[in-house]
Amino acid sequence: MSEWRSSEAARGLALVGPTLLYAVAMLAVPLGAVLVYSFLTDGYLTIIPEFTLANYAEVFSDPIYRQVMARSLGVALAVTVATVVLAYPVAYFVAFHVRPERRSLWLFLITIPFWTSYLIRVFLWKVILGYNGVVNATLTGLGIIDEPLTFILYNVNAVVITLAHAYAPFAILPIFVALGKIDRTLLEAAQDLGESRLATFLRVTLPLSVPGVVAAVLIVFIPTVGDYVTPRLVGGPEGRMIANIIQLQYLRLDNYPLGSALAVTAMAIVTVIAVGFVLSLRRYLRVRQ
Amino acid sequence: MADPIIQLENVTKRFDDFEALKGVSADIREGEFFSLLGPSGCGKTTLLRTIAGFEAPTSGQVRIAGQDMAGVPPNRRPTNMVFQSYAIFPHLDVAGNVGFGLRRSPMSAAEKARAVDEALEMVGLAGYGRRAAHALSGGQRQRVALARALVLKPRVLLLDEPLSALDKKLREQMQGELRRLQRQVGITFILVTHDQEEALIMSDRIAVMFEGQIAQMANPEMLYRRPVSRRVAEFIGVMNFLPARVTASSPAGIEVEIAGLGRATLSGDSHAEAAPGEPPSVGIRPEMLTILFGNEPETGRVAEGEVREVVYYGDMTYYEIAIDGAPGTVTVSMRNLVNRPVLRRGERTRISWDERALILFR
Repeated sequence: MSEWRSSEAARGLALVGPTLLYAVAMLAVPLGAVLVYSFLTDGYLTIIPEFTLANYAEVFSDPIYRQVMARSLGVALAVTVATVVLAYPVAYFVAFHVRPERRSLWLFLITIPFWTSYLIRVFLWKVILGYNGVVNATLTGLGIIDEPLTFILYNVNAVVITLAHAYAPFAILPIFVALGKIDRTLLEAAQDLGESRLATFLRVTLPLSVPGVVAAVLIVFIPTVGDYVTPRLVGGPEGRMIANIIQLQYLRLDNYPLGSALAVTAMAIVTVIAVGFVLSLRRYLRVRQ
Repeated sequence: MADPIIQLENVTKRFDDFEALKGVSADIREGEFFSLLGPSGCGKTTLLRTIAGFEAPTSGQVRIAGQDMAGVPPNRRPTNMVFQSYAIFPHLDVAGNVGFGLRRSPMSAAEKARAVDEALEMVGLAGYGRRAAHALSGGQRQRVALARALVLKPRVLLLDEPLSALDKKLREQMQGELRRLQRQVGITFILVTHDQEEALIMSDRIAVMFEGQIAQMANPEMLYRRPVSRRVAEFIGVMNFLPARVTASSPAGIEVEIAGLGRATLSGDSHAEAAPGEPPSVGIRPEMLTILFGNEPETGRVAEGEVREVVYYGDMTYYEIAIDGAPGTVTVSMRNLVNRPVLRRGERTRISWDERALILFR
C-alpha cells in the first residue's frame, strides 16, 4: 500500500515537475524580485540595498500615478463591459441557435483573429482609426463628415476599441461553455410555469450563466489593466496606462524600486477588485447543476 | 357528463421525416387520472408535449377547456408539467422553486408565501422551504416539482414519466401518493409511462399507444381483460398464446380447436386482432390457469403437462409448463398458500382452465 502510494506520488510529481520548475523560475522568482525591489532605495542608476517605504509613499502621493492607475482601471472596466456585453449574444446564439454539429465550426471561426499576432492586430487598428484611415476615409468619402475625426486614435477611445476587439474570443468561450451546460428542460419548465421567453432568460438563463460571465470578466479585466502594447501604439500621451508608466520607470528612468512599487500596487489593486467581484457573486458561483 | 377538459382531434406531428403522431383523437375528462402508456418511441411524450404547448401539431387540433390551443404558448395554457428530470432550478432554494410561477400572480407576498407553504405541506415537504436544490434526494426533487406545478392550480397536470428515476420502493410509495394527491386536488392528471403496472395501478383510464397511434383506450380492467389486439395483450401483463383453429363461427359463439387444450366454445365478443400475418391463436392469462396439486378434484377443463421452470417470488410462484400437445410452454402463476407445495422441475401436473378466460386473436 505504502509502496503504491509512494510510486503514485512520484508519478504525480514527475507530471507536474517540469511545469512547477518553469513556474517557479519564470513567475515566482521574478515576482519575488519585484517585491524585494519595491522596498529598496533608488540611488539613480544603482540600487541601494536599504529598506524603505519611500517608493510606496511616492506611488500613493503623486497624483500622476493615481491618475494613470485610475485611467487603467477605467479603460479595463470599459473594455470588460463592452466585451462581455457584446460577447454574450454571440455565445448565446452559438449555444442555443446553432445546431450541435455546427458548433465546432462556429467556435473555430470565432478564434480566427488569433491567427494574426496581437501586435499586428493593434497596428491594423491604427490603420483603421488613423487620420487618413479606413473609418475617416469612408466617412469623408460618403460626405458624412468634412474633417477627419481625431477622437478615435491616440487617446483612450482607441485603446478601448482595440482591446475590446482583441479580447472578444476570450469572453465568448467561457460564456458559451456556461450556457451550454444549462439543462434545456429548465427553460421549458420556466415557460411552463408561466414565464415569457424574456422573463425566462432573466430568471433562469442569466443567473445560471453567471459563472461564465465571471470567468469572462476576469479573463478580460485582469490582463487589460496591465496591457502595455495597445496604449503604447494607439493610446497617445493621454491614453497612457499603468504598464507604460512602469516601463518608463524601469527602462527610461532606471528607477527599478519605484517601477516595482507601481507594479506591486497595481497587482494588489487588481487582486482586491477581482476577489471582491467574485465574492459579490458567490451565491451564483456555488450553484451545482 | 361535463365537457371533456382536453379534446384531441386527429393530432399529427411530423419531425423532419419521422411521423411521431399519426392522427390521435381522444377526449380526456375533467378530474380523471389518465395515462398514456406505450413503449419508448411510441409518441406518448410527444403527445404530452403537444398538450403542454412545447410542440405544435403538424395537423389536427388540441382543445383545452373548449378553447383551441393553436398558437398558444406553454406559459398561457392552463396546464403545468412535472418533467421527467424534474427540472428543479439549481440556483433557487425549495421555496424559490415552488414559488417560481407565482411571480405574476396578483397575490400579496404574504399570500404567496402561504401558498408555497401549503403546496409544500401537500406534498409532505413542510419546513423544507430554505433547503438548497442540490441538497434534495430524488424523491424530494419530485415532490418539489409537484408542488411547483400544483401551487399554480392548473386545470390539468401533465406528468412525464415522473417515477422512472426512483427506486422500486420509493416508486411504489409515490404511486400511492400521486393517486391520493389527484383525488385531493380533483384536477385532471395526465401521466406518461412505459410501465404498464404503474398505469394499471394509478389510472382511471389508459390510452395504449404504439407507433404514434392509440391502439386502445379503456379503463384498466377492460384493458387487461379485453385487449383489442395481440399487441396490447402482450404489452399489458403476461399472456399465454396457443395456436388455434376456428372450426365454426356464429353470432352465438366461436368454436375453436386449441393446441394442447382441445375444443372450446368462445362467446361471440371475446375475440381480438391478431398481429398482422400471424395465424389465429388463443390467449389466456397466467392467473387463469390453475395447477391441481396431488389429487385435488377437477374444476372445469383440465390439461396435462410437465414443469419446465420454476420461479419463486415469495408470495407467488411462476411455472413454465409444457402442455402435452402444445408447442412451447405456458406461464402459470400460483399464490403460495400454507397447504400448497412448490412443484419441481420435471414434475408432471394437471392444469385446470375455463373457457370464459379465453380470448381469440384472429
